[in-house]
Amino acid sequence: MSSPKDVAELTATLRDRGYIADRGLATALFVAISLRRPILLEGEVGVGKTEVAKTLAAAFGRRLIRLQCYEGIDTNQALYEWDYARQMLYIRALSERQLADADAVDKLFGPKFLLERPLLDAVRAGDQAVLLIDEIDRADDEFEAFLLEILSDFQISIPEIGTVKAEQPPLVILTSNRTRELHDALKRRCLYHWIGYPSAEREVEIVLTRAPEVSELLTRKVVAAVHRLRELDLAKPPGVAETIDWAATLHFLGETDLEPEAAADTLGAVVKERDDLELVKDNLDAIMTGA
Amino acid sequence: MPEVSEISEAGHAFTGMLVEFGRELRDAGIGAGTGDVLAYCTAAASLDPADLTDLYWAGRTTLVTRKDQIATYDRVFRAFFLGIRYPVADFLKLAPSSPAQVQGVLQIPATEQTEGEPGEEAQLGLMASEAETLRHKSFAACTPEELAAVRRIMTRIKLTPPRRRTRRNVRGSRGRTPDMRRTVREAMRMHGEPAELYWRRRKVRLRPLILILDVSGSMADYSRHLLQFAYSAKRAASRVEVFCFGTRLTRVTRALDTRKPDEALRRAAQTVFDWEGGTRIGSSLESFVKNWGRRGLCRGGIVVICSDGLDRGDPAVLSAAMERLSRLCHRVVWLNPHKGEDQSFRPSTLGMMVAAPHIDLLLSGHDLHSLEELAALLPVLN
Repeated sequence: MSSPKDVAELTATLRDRGYIADRGLATALFVAISLRRPILLEGEVGVGKTEVAKTLAAAFGRRLIRLQCYEGIDTNQALYEWDYARQMLYIRALSERQLADADAVDKLFGPKFLLERPLLDAVRAGDQAVLLIDEIDRADDEFEAFLLEILSDFQISIPEIGTVKAEQPPLVILTSNRTRELHDALKRRCLYHWIGYPSAEREVEIVLTRAPEVSELLTRKVVAAVHRLRELDLAKPPGVAETIDWAATLHFLGETDLEPEAAADTLGAVVKERDDLELVKDNLDAIMTGA
Repeated sequence: MPEVSEISEAGHAFTGMLVEFGRELRDAGIGAGTGDVLAYCTAAASLDPADLTDLYWAGRTTLVTRKDQIATYDRVFRAFFLGIRYPVADFLKLAPSSPAQVQGVLQIPATEQTEGEPGEEAQLGLMASEAETLRHKSFAACTPEELAAVRRIMTRIKLTPPRRRTRRNVRGSRGRTPDMRRTVREAMRMHGEPAELYWRRRKVRLRPLILILDVSGSMADYSRHLLQFAYSAKRAASRVEVFCFGTRLTRVTRALDTRKPDEALRRAAQTVFDWEGGTRIGSSLESFVKNWGRRGLCRGGIVVICSDGLDRGDPAVLSAAMERLSRLCHRVVWLNPHKGEDQSFRPSTLGMMVAAPHIDLLLSGHDLHSLEELAALLPVLN
C-alpha cells in the first residue's frame, strides 16, 4: 500500500500497527501524505510524536530515515561528507604506484568515497522513505535555515557530483518539544499539529495495545492515577510513554491492582523529578483513590 | 493530488467560503497567508468537504502554526461555521457527523487558558476587557529627551552576555580536531601531498539574555526606564527575551520587536495587563519557570530580574521558584532599584531575603549609570 484513501483507512492502518491516533492527528497525517507536505508535530514529551513516524514507515512499507537533531549539528552530519581518510589513502596509493589515469580523479569524488547522511539518503529514496527530523528545536537556528532549503525543493547540490533531486518528495515528519520557538519561515513550509494528552479511554486503549499483557483493571487504575498526576502542578507531567512504563513495571512486579505500596515503590517510572516526587508522595492517597 | 483548479463549479462557492474563513482568521490575528489558504482548500478537497470535523482539522493543520493560536482558531471556527451570523449550514447543508467508520464527534475544545499569552484577553467578555484597559499604562510618546536617552543607552551600553563554547566548530589557526576537508583540499593543490594540517576549533556564542521586569505599583517610577532599557537591549543583542510581571507574567519580546522605540513601548504597554497593580513575584517567576524555563528558554542563559522584592505572595513559592530558576539558567542577576548607591545595602524586604541565596549578582539598576555597571559586568559573568 503506498498511500491511504481516506482518514478512516489511515486510522485503521495505524491501529493495526499498534498506534492509536485520534481524529485530529489522523487527518493531519492524511493531509500531509496527500499534499506531500512536511508536517511539524509539537506536543508534550512522551505523547508519541516519534512513534507515529516509525509506525507510518512500517505501515506503508517505506524506509524510516531518522535525523536526530542536537545542538551543533551541521551540514556534514545531516547531508553528506567525503570520506577524507580513504580519499587520502587512495591518493597515496595512486601516486606510489604511478597509477594515475584519466578518471582517477573522478573516482576520487565518486560514490565510493561519499558518505551519505540522512538528508541525502532521504532525497535519494524519495517517496520510498519516511524522513523523521526529530527534536528540531534542539538544533540551532542556522541549521533550521538550511533545512528550509531542503524542505522546499528536496534537491541537494554536491559540487563534485551534481544535483540530486527527489522525483517524489519523501514524507517528512518534524518533531519539536518546544524548548524554543521555531522560525515562522520553517513553520510556513510545514503543516502543523499539536499532540495533546489523550483522553482516559483512549489512553487505556493505547496502554492495552502497547502492553497487552497488563490486565485491564490495572491499566484503568494506572491511567486514572496518571490523569490525576497531570492535574497536579508537576514540573514534568507524565506522558503516555510513562503511563505505559508504569503499567508494564507494575505488571512485571506481579501486581494486578494498583496498591498504594506498590505504587509508591514504582513511582520512579512516572515521576522523574525530585520536587515532583515529594509532592506526589504527600498526596499519594488522593492520587490513588481520586478522593 | 487534487488541484484547486479541479474543484468543480459547484465547489467554487465553497472555496470562496474557505477563503472568507481564512480572512476572518487573519482579522483575528492568525497570520494565514494566501499559500496557507490554498493548502487549506486543497486539503479540504482531498477530505470530505461536507464533513465539519474534516473542515475543522484540515484548517487546524494547515492554517495554525503555533499552539497558542489554537484557542483563537477554535473561536473563529465556531463563530464562522457554527454561528448564526453566516448561514453556512443552510448554504452547504453540511453534515456535521462523519460517516460511521471514523469515530470522533466535532468537539472544539473549550478555550484553553494559556496564562500570560496575549490571545487570552481576546476571549474575555466585553465587561472584563473594559476593566482591563483601565489598567493599561498610558504611555505618552517619548519626549525628545527620552528618545535621546534611549539612543544613548543603545550606543553607550552594549549589553553583551557572556559567551559559551558551542558544539559547532569553525576553522581556526589552532584547535583540537583536524580540518580534514580543508587539509585534503589543500593537499590536492600539492598533487596529493598533505603539506599542512589545518584545524577546527569550537565556536563561541552569546548566551541568551532574559529580562524579567517588575511593572507593579511599587516600581512605577522605574518601569518606563526598564522598558526602554529592555528595548535597547533587545536591539543590541540577538537572543534577548523580555517578560513583564505584576500579578502575572506577560511575554513582551514580540511586542518590542520593532524599529521605532515609541511603537515598541506602546505595543509593550498594551500587551501587559497589570500595570502598576499588586506584586506577586513568586507566582510570576513560578509561571516563568513552568511555561518558559522548563522548555529550555533560559538554559545556559543569564536571567536578569528587575524588582524591588516587595512580594505580596507566599515567600515559599518565591523561594521554590528562585531555586528552580537558578538551577535552570546559568546566572541570576537581580536589579533592585532601592539598593541605590548604597554599598552596604542589605535586602530588607522579605522577598529579597528569600531570593538572596539564589542570586549570583545583586545590582541597583535605578539609573543609567548603574545599568552601565551591569553592562560592564555581564560579559565576564562566566
